[in-house]
Amino acid sequence: MSDFEPKIVAFLCNYCSYEGADRAGSARMESPANVRVIRTMCSGRIEPEMVLESFSKGADGVMILGCHPGDCHFKEGNYKTLRRYSLLVKTLDEFGIEPDRIALDWVSASEAKKYTEITAAMTERVRKLGPFVLDSGSCKGETK
Amino acid sequence: MDKRIGVFFCRCSNLISDRLDEERVLAKARQIDGVVHVASHNLLCSPEGKKFLAEEIKEHSLDAVVVAACSPKLHEKTFMTILEETGVNPFMLQMANIREQCVWITPDKAEATEKATAYILAAINRVGRHESLETKAIECNPDILVVGSGVAGIEAAKNFSMAGRKVYLVEKEPCIGGVVARIEEVYPSMECAPCMIAPMQQEILQDPNVEVLTYSEIEEVKGFLGNFNVKILKKPKSIDEINCLGCGECYPVCPVEVKNKFDGGLANRHAIYVPYAGALPNIPVIDRDICLRFDGQDCSKCADACPMAAVVFSQESETIEVNVGGIVIATGGETYDISKVEELNFGKIPGIYNTIQMERLIASNGPTEGEIVMENGDAPKKIAIIHCAGSRNAKHLPYCSGICCLNNMKLVRNIKHAIPDAELHLYYRDFCLPGKAGQAFADETLKKAIAHRYCGKIKTSDSDGKIAIHANDTSDKFDMVVLTPGIVPSADGKKIAELFDLELDDYGFFKEDHNLLNISSSSMEGIQIAGAAQAPKGIDEAIAQAAGTAGKLLAKLVPGRLLEIETKVTVIDEELCGGCKMCISLCPYSAIDFDLEEKISRVNEVLCKGCGTCAAACPSGAAVAKHFTKEQVYAEIEEVTL
Repeated sequence: MSDFEPKIVAFLCNYCSYEGADRAGSARMESPANVRVIRTMCSGRIEPEMVLESFSKGADGVMILGCHPGDCHFKEGNYKTLRRYSLLVKTLDEFGIEPDRIALDWVSASEAKKYTEITAAMTERVRKLGPFVLDSGSCKGETK
Repeated sequence: MDKRIGVFFCRCSNLISDRLDEERVLAKARQIDGVVHVASHNLLCSPEGKKFLAEEIKEHSLDAVVVAACSPKLHEKTFMTILEETGVNPFMLQMANIREQCVWITPDKAEATEKATAYILAAINRVGRHESLETKAIECNPDILVVGSGVAGIEAAKNFSMAGRKVYLVEKEPCIGGVVARIEEVYPSMECAPCMIAPMQQEILQDPNVEVLTYSEIEEVKGFLGNFNVKILKKPKSIDEINCLGCGECYPVCPVEVKNKFDGGLANRHAIYVPYAGALPNIPVIDRDICLRFDGQDCSKCADACPMAAVVFSQESETIEVNVGGIVIATGGETYDISKVEELNFGKIPGIYNTIQMERLIASNGPTEGEIVMENGDAPKKIAIIHCAGSRNAKHLPYCSGICCLNNMKLVRNIKHAIPDAELHLYYRDFCLPGKAGQAFADETLKKAIAHRYCGKIKTSDSDGKIAIHANDTSDKFDMVVLTPGIVPSADGKKIAELFDLELDDYGFFKEDHNLLNISSSSMEGIQIAGAAQAPKGIDEAIAQAAGTAGKLLAKLVPGRLLEIETKVTVIDEELCGGCKMCISLCPYSAIDFDLEEKISRVNEVLCKGCGTCAAACPSGAAVAKHFTKEQVYAEIEEVTL
């Protein structure tokens, strides 16, 4: 178990967090190779199903990173994400997916350091949880 | 996959290739179905690199391209242009960010190789699901609507007219010119304000390109940049504007009087009135709320006095419909209602005035024709001006308006000019004296006044017919006290915001698109903001912003030029839409309408900015975010999780 390297899918919004991740690279900071980025125009675009799809395809953790509240390029997409996210965490829990396997955070275009820190922290967190195994038996909705 | 996909690996002059195993990455790419060509180049963004890419696309008849290089933020447009130039739809490109988000952030070469491979495979898988997208363009109307006719509104209208545009200048009051037309002098030049603004007013009133609609209000606004339909309600002035000479015979005979807000309530006006002497256009209106005739009484004194038979009691309101391409909101601001600061006793103790009242006492077109006198007609001997009244105060206005201190310096000069032997005291917390002339203007002025700095609370009280000011641990008595509150948005800003679907900031000013980079655009594309409607500001800044905002709209709306709209919009599949309307409530741009007949939602592609928030929430999958479809995102997920 000690050499387990988690796969983490990170959905980044184009205008803030993707830019923040770019700058982390430009500054030659370090972020775990475990984190694989998918760009969307806005964090508001991320469907809960995309998170579920990531887990079902083999992700051990999923991150959603958007602009800080009030800074959304699309005015309020990130607020919609926030509302959707709290529901999503509950739903994942029902499916037997630990809430710690998913994270929502805000990274501005200048927060390169924060990007590296939260991706490292997430990787460590999921590493401790171990590989994600979709076990239909653990689905709370199906138990009595 | 039936597309012929080409994969191009940019070494970025070894910045990328030194940090991973290039051959290993390329070997993986070659194995993928649909990939017909894989090539490397030392620097794809260089002139040679671009030429190489274009030639390779043609030679291998590629119809989809993956460029593995730097961040798409840097060169996506560059490579999309090359696709377009070679006859391939530019949206058939996908970049794999293997520099910033891979080799530069992953020191371990083996890990970087693996991650770059995943990104390239994800890009290949995604581009296989790309669709050609056509960038649409719409025709636009170059005409402009300006709401508000203070200095900002007039300046904006003037600029549009100079460019030959048709302008509708709408003003809710009977006259144009806003606050500046009602004050005597302006700081720091001490120039005569009416002399400065009258030529602007006259020019705009006589401008054949500008239709000035006074005593008019916006009733309804629909549309988007390039095509707004606006309904303007022209309230009945009860005057035939063509026949009226502005002789002024009608108002002295009117038996009704009411306090005149244009004089800060210091004097009365009649039911038929012009707001103040010299107001332009020089045409009176009848205030039907107080006119006896409209109260059912048999009064026609004004009509009888009119030598031109220009009083028309039967005049009706009129709704004018116009189509414009762009809008400027220049609805201005007003001073904070200082009676809310209870301890200052405005309106309770005689002899306490606000800024506007003082300006009107000083103004030669004001109620006293420029004589500074108290209610009893005597000139005050000892006067105090209290700065920051209600400003920088969490209970009232938390912000500094930035113009009041300099305006107060001007008032000092005006008062000393009118009553040279008056003793003048300034109560201030800090002096805010911005601008290249501010400090010198204040330094010179302060020789004429006694300044007291107060830190904590300040209050006034009645003291045997005089006004006592208590600040810090001192008290002093005055004949007249002038309270100078900060600037707040105009009272109907909220109504205007609702009509135009605009956002307001925490203080009720129109929210800028960006508070530094774009202060003259509102939260809605095609609707600009200028002057104190956006934030408190002086005349110079209001004029500059108005001219700037006009420039922005002139650049966006060029007659005969089509307006390019966002390509990556969301579309709603009519067959799949269940009509739940969830998307409508989510759209930050009000870009989705409900088709009542078909009972489905429809996206207005002109308004949609492509955030995809609606697509994420659509329960039936009818809303599809172009270029960020579920299938395209899933294609990436599939490869990055392998």
